[in-house]
Amino acid sequence: MKQRVARWITRLYPGSWRKRYGEEFEALLIAQPGSLSNFINVVYSAFRERVAPTRSCDERGVVPCFGSVVKMPSAAIPITMSLLALAVVLVHIALAGIARQADEGAAAHIWQLLMTGQIPVLLFFAIKWLPKVPKQALGVLALQAVAMGVSMAPVFLLNW
Amino acid sequence: MRSTTRHVGEIKYQPELGHYSDPPLLVLASLASGPKHGHAMIEDIANLCGSHLGPGTLYGAIARLEEQGWIEPLPSEDRRRPYRITTEGVRVLRAKLATLHQFTKAGLKRLEAL
Repeated sequence: MKQRVARWITRLYPGSWRKRYGEEFEALLIAQPGSLSNFINVVYSAFRERVAPTRSCDERGVVPCFGSVVKMPSAAIPITMSLLALAVVLVHIALAGIARQADEGAAAHIWQLLMTGQIPVLLFFAIKWLPKVPKQALGVLALQAVAMGVSMAPVFLLNW
Repeated sequence: MRSTTRHVGEIKYQPELGHYSDPPLLVLASLASGPKHGHAMIEDIANLCGSHLGPGTLYGAIARLEEQGWIEPLPSEDRRRPYRITTEGVRVLRAKLATLHQFTKAGLKRLEAL
């Protein structure tokens, strides 16, 4: 494989992976035939590495702490969505009171979208991070569960 | 038409039967005969069982095995880094091969009964 192509497809891997394996991987690619099957294999493997990283530590060899895991988009998005759902409920209570309405209004639909929309993100987070950093991932999942519970509590307590 | 059947050691390798595909086990088995870098592993595995591991598959397995502490890197030689199997890796390889051996024995015994 040509050095230029080898360098380009190695860049498809995440930075932390490249920092550890990039140089030796590029040397291997140069020694390999530049076949389509090798090209597809590397592109697919790079995609897999981005979705489910094999290494649990970052480029400095440090296992991410709870603080850095919770800031990841797949962790922060469900928490934010739960808090937004809670805000929708609180705004609705402030404007219309706690009385149950005859039909579902915009607030109810927004609340339902926010609560159901976060489930795929939550599953993605669990699949990606539980095998890598179980302790930190469980902490984030617990936080997400609390956020979901807080958002759902008014709806169930007020029997909406 | 060119025949793709070839001999691997004493085994008649037939591609139409498919490849044995457990990259981490293949890497461990390859390193059992001594430290190797990526290119040497690919060639050794092809000679061992006829499976051609793609570079991405090989490094996916290497990264996982290193993470599990079953293989370890040695100092780089001209950009190529050799790896060697650890004591824990030898134990895991032995256990996996013993399971496979049991499975093979049981499977062949059933075939004999046919």
